[in-house]
Formats: sequence, C-alpha cells, structure tokens
Amino acid sequence: MTQIRQPALRQINRRKLIYMRDLIWELVRRDMKLRYKGSLLGIVWSLLNPLAQLVVFTIIFTWILPLDIPNYALFMFCALLPWTWFQTSWTSATVTIVDGRALIKRPGFPPGILPIVSITSNLVHFLLALPVLIVFMLITDVPLTATVLLLPVLIAIQFLFTLSIAYITAALHVQFRDIAHLVGVIVLLLFYLSPVFYDIAMVPAQLRPLYALNPLVPLLDGYRAIFLRGELPNVPLLTLLAFLSTVLLYFSHRFFMHMSYVFVEEL
Amino acid sequence: MDAAIVVNQLGKQYRQFHPDRPHTFIETLAKGFRRLHPTDRFWALRDVSFSIAPGRMVGVIGSNGAGKSTLLRLVGGVGRPDEGTVHASGRIGALLELGTGFHPELTGRENVFVSGIISGLTRADVRERFDDIVAFAELEAFIDSPLRTYSTGMQMRLAFSVAVHIEPDILLVDEVLAVGDVAFQQKCLDRIAQFQANGCAILLVTHDLSLVRELCDEVIWLHRGQIMGRGPAQVITTEYTADMLTESKMRTPANYPTIVTPSGTHLKVMENRFGSLELALEQVQLLDGLNRPITSINSGDPVRIALTYRANRPIPDPIFGLTITDESGEIYYDESIAGSALGFERITGTGQVVIDFERLDLSDGTYFFDVGIYERNWSHAFDYHWHVYPLRVYGGNSKSILWPPHQWRCVSAEAEPTHES
Repeated sequence: MTQIRQPALRQINRRKLIYMRDLIWELVRRDMKLRYKGSLLGIVWSLLNPLAQLVVFTIIFTWILPLDIPNYALFMFCALLPWTWFQTSWTSATVTIVDGRALIKRPGFPPGILPIVSITSNLVHFLLALPVLIVFMLITDVPLTATVLLLPVLIAIQFLFTLSIAYITAALHVQFRDIAHLVGVIVLLLFYLSPVFYDIAMVPAQLRPLYALNPLVPLLDGYRAIFLRGELPNVPLLTLLAFLSTVLLYFSHRFFMHMSYVFVEEL
Repeated sequence: MDAAIVVNQLGKQYRQFHPDRPHTFIETLAKGFRRLHPTDRFWALRDVSFSIAPGRMVGVIGSNGAGKSTLLRLVGGVGRPDEGTVHASGRIGALLELGTGFHPELTGRENVFVSGIISGLTRADVRERFDDIVAFAELEAFIDSPLRTYSTGMQMRLAFSVAVHIEPDILLVDEVLAVGDVAFQQKCLDRIAQFQANGCAILLVTHDLSLVRELCDEVIWLHRGQIMGRGPAQVITTEYTADMLTESKMRTPANYPTIVTPSGTHLKVMENRFGSLELALEQVQLLDGLNRPITSINSGDPVRIALTYRANRPIPDPIFGLTITDESGEIYYDESIAGSALGFERITGTGQVVIDFERLDLSDGTYFFDVGIYERNWSHAFDYHWHVYPLRVYGGNSKSILWPPHQWRCVSAEAEPTHES
C-alpha cells in the first residue's frame, strides 16, 4: 500500500511545485505587462526615478558638497539600483495582501505567494536596469571582472532578507492599515542610514556599531565590490546575513501563515 | 465509495468588535490594545455534519446570513474552522467570484492564462485547454483584443469558460449560474452535468429554488448556521417555502384595511393576503389587448397583468412573482424575476410592472393569478395575493390543460371509404 502511495505523493508534490512556479511566473508576467503596456518607453519610465535621484545626488555631492569619491555617478548608481529594488519590493509586498484580497479569498490560492510575486516583479525591473549600469562602466572605463559572477548570490541573499521582513509587514498590514506608512518612514530613514550615496568607509568609528546592525550595509557594499572594485564582497558578514534571514524567514512565514487564516475575515 | 466531501461537526465563529476598534497601528497605540479583542462572538455555523459522495450534486439553501457562503468557503479551505473538521479530497474548482485576476488592460488571451492559473491549472494545462476555453466562450475573434473592449456578457462568458475547464473533483458554486444569455446558461449547466457524470461532487449555493429542484439530488437547508433539514430536493424546498410563508404570516400586520377588488373579491390580510406590506401591491389588473379590464377570455387571447406597487421605504431589489393555478392548486405557470433584471436595483414610491402574455393557450376553466413581491433573498413576502384574481377561460374542453391553436385533418388513408350518407 505504501509502495503505491509514495510515488503518487511525490507526483502530487511535484505538480504542486510546478504549479507554484507557474503561478509566480504568470503573476509576475501580469505585473510586467501591465507596467509596460501602452508605453514602449515603459522601461525608461521605471528607470526615470532612480536616474533623477542619481542626477540630483551627483550634482550635490560632486559640486555642492564634494565628497572625495572618484566617478561619483557610477559609485552612487551601483548601490542605488539594488536599493531601489529593496525599497520598491518591500513597500509593494507590504500592501500586496490587502490589494490582492480577491485572490486571497479563492479556494486553493496560496497567500504566501503574493509577497514573493512583488519582490520578483521588482527584481525584474532591477535586472532590466543592469545594462544601464554596464554601459556606465564601459563609458567610464571601469573593467568588468569575474567577481560579477557572484551577482546571483547577492541577489539571492537580498531576496531572502526582503521576503523575511515582508511576510511580517504584509501580515500586519491586514490588521493595521498604516503599517505601509510605517514601512515608508523606515525606508526613508534607511536610505540615509545605508551607504547608498556615500561610502561605508566614510562612516566614523563611533557610528560603526549602528551600521553593523543594518543588514543592507554588507549587501550594498557587496554590489560595489563585485562591480566596481573587482573584489570579493564581505563573505563572513553576508553568510551571517543569509543565515539570519533564513531563520527569520522560517518564523515570519509561520507568523504569516498563522495570520492568513484571519485574512479572509478581515479583508 | 469514499465520500468526496466529509464535513463533521463543523463550527465557525465570527468575532464582533468594539465599534471603536482601531484599524491602524497609531490608533491602537492611542486607544490601547484592549480594543483589539472581540467584544462578542457568534456562531456563523455550528454542528454541521454531512458527506457528499462523488457524482452527487447537493444544493444549499437558506436565507441571508444562514451560513451558506461560510460553509462553501470552509469546504474550499479558505479560513479555518473553530470546531470540527472538513475533508475535501481532490482538486477543488470554484465558481464563486468569476473573473478574479481579470485585468481590463490585458488581452483575452493573457487573462485566460492568469485566470486559469489562479484557478489551479498549470501553464501546460492552460495551453492544452486554451482552444477549448475560447471556443466554449465563443470569443475566437476577440481573444487578442484587450478585455476592456469586451461587453460585460463577453467577460462573464470568458470567466465562466475558464472556470468550467478545470475538471475538478469537487465543484463549489455560489449563485453564479445566471450569467450570459439563456443558451450560454444551458451550455454551462450541461457542462456541470457532465462533471457530475464524471464523478465530480458539486455543492451549489443558491436562492433559486427551481434551479435546486431541477439540478440537485439532495438539499441542505441552513438556518442561522445550523442544518434545519436535509433530504430530497423536492421535499426540502417545499418545507423551506412553507417556512417562508410562516415567516410572511408572522410579519403580516393584523389590522390592515380590507379592499374589494373590481372582480368583487375581498382582499383581506391573513386570509388571502400575506406579507409585511412595506412594499404593497396597490392594484392588480388583468387586461386585454386594448388595456381594458377583463374577467374572462377566449382561449388564445392576449392577457396583460399589471401590478401597481407602493413602497413605504426604499426596498432593494425585490422579486416579483406570478403563478397561474386552478382551484385545486395545480400550477400551470410559475415564474419570478428580480427587480434588477427588470432594470431597477431598488424600489421607491409607486410604479407598475406588467407581464404580457401574447396569447394564453389554456383550456376551458377558471384560473387564479396569484401575484407576489418578495424580499430579495426570499426570506419573506412583502405582499402576496392568493386566489384573488380569477380568470375564466372559454374554449377548448375542460378535460384539457392546454389549448394551443391546432387542427385535425386527414393526410392519407388507405382504409375503405365509409358509405356516403
């Protein structure tokens, strides 16, 4: 009996995995199509925000308050792209359950998929903007080295970290509809407290302990290391971040699933 | 055979909160976390047990708030029961809210994919069924146009078509069968019958008792979260209707002036008039083709029934009903239609609804036109006039029911001609 049942069980699980993959894929595709439909310049539009930020910060920190950073625009852009991915995916993942209430109420729909879809959609935007970074590098004669191959690892860790906090805020937002505002404020603060438009090396020693608590520091600096400096990122710190994110993800996912039974009544 | 759905001692509690319950984090900090706790709980569903075998179609009826939708949701695995268990084995298909995930800017094709996957199919499944889905919806010519260019009917057809191509083991249906035109509805019902023949267990929630009688093997009647009755569709729907009449009687005001109708019948509450009378039938007229009041016709004449109503307060979407019976209660015609289907969502003040029979091909006899206006969920009647408006039909013979235009003639005969006389 068990001999018959087990292959069937495996088959069901396999089908479920394929289903999850297809579901994420199709919902991400829908996001993409909706964003880019009706304007061929869609990709430009999604780049416009970081580019505008880039121009302003470059003007300020090259001419008004000069920071001693060569090739500042590239330096800033390299961290701004992953930062934008983090910021947009966390804020959109937070409201995704409330926005997707019709889906949540469908029998068989796995609510845990929605934050993953938000983060993945924004990851695609991030990846679509990467060629611009490469072009920047070519123009300014910064060589692309083999360390760039570590990009998928950095992306995976950032994905893990973003998802682990997004599950918490997405679940809380169903109960407290101002959590999204709170996330907005935290994101705004984090932007200034993370080395996006400055170098982590410029942070004075007495503030370093504070920065040690910011998980985005090794990530953002990691992107600069592999793209601009051709160095390995801070491997021990990133390993720790990956580990802690996995642990947090385990608990936040459990919390999310626990709360998801309440969603149907609250939405 | 193992049951497809087993519901055992199922209970679901809903929580009621303080009206001042904070909805934001800031408010919670200001008002305290205490207000987050529910002030009261009530059972939306309690002690509900039943099982459904594969290939059976079970209707769930009951007034609003009886727990029908809650039951359907729990069977679908949405939300968690507070008591008891639900076992549903196999793939669950749902015809609940159609078109979830549809987006007006995407094309029909793209929407089919998104919606199919949301309904539980993989991409490969959708690809395989795609042509069938489009053909079923009869939208081949439009499938690559954006959904916003579709009419509402076309959108519903597409949504329904996706939903009926899941090939589920269990199908949950909630009041969505009234989509599209009659031909398309029939197509959907055929499809559902086909599922059933293939062993799909179907749970159908509806207010439409005639649909229940037509389709369901069995009916569960829910009242305030509990099973009031369960059994063959005919028996349970009759009980349910009787209960509704009791409810209507209870709501009928005791002293309401008796009215004498043009035909001389006294219209008196609790005798031949039942209902809460918040929405009253002020005048009911049987008219001929020239709008003149009539008390008799020749079989095959046109008949118009004009219902003049008055609402004391705005009434959302009431249902108008007409039944033609004879003295023994035999039903010759029975139809009801929601106000929304007639073009108004809510009724205020006075107005008139007419029903036109181009010809009434009843045979010789006396018939009663029983008319009523009901609450939108059939929970009670607003006004129901029973055996008040008779119509004498002449023509045909009294042994027949039907007397449509017809003739007898000889087409061919090989028999010996009879002697001429």
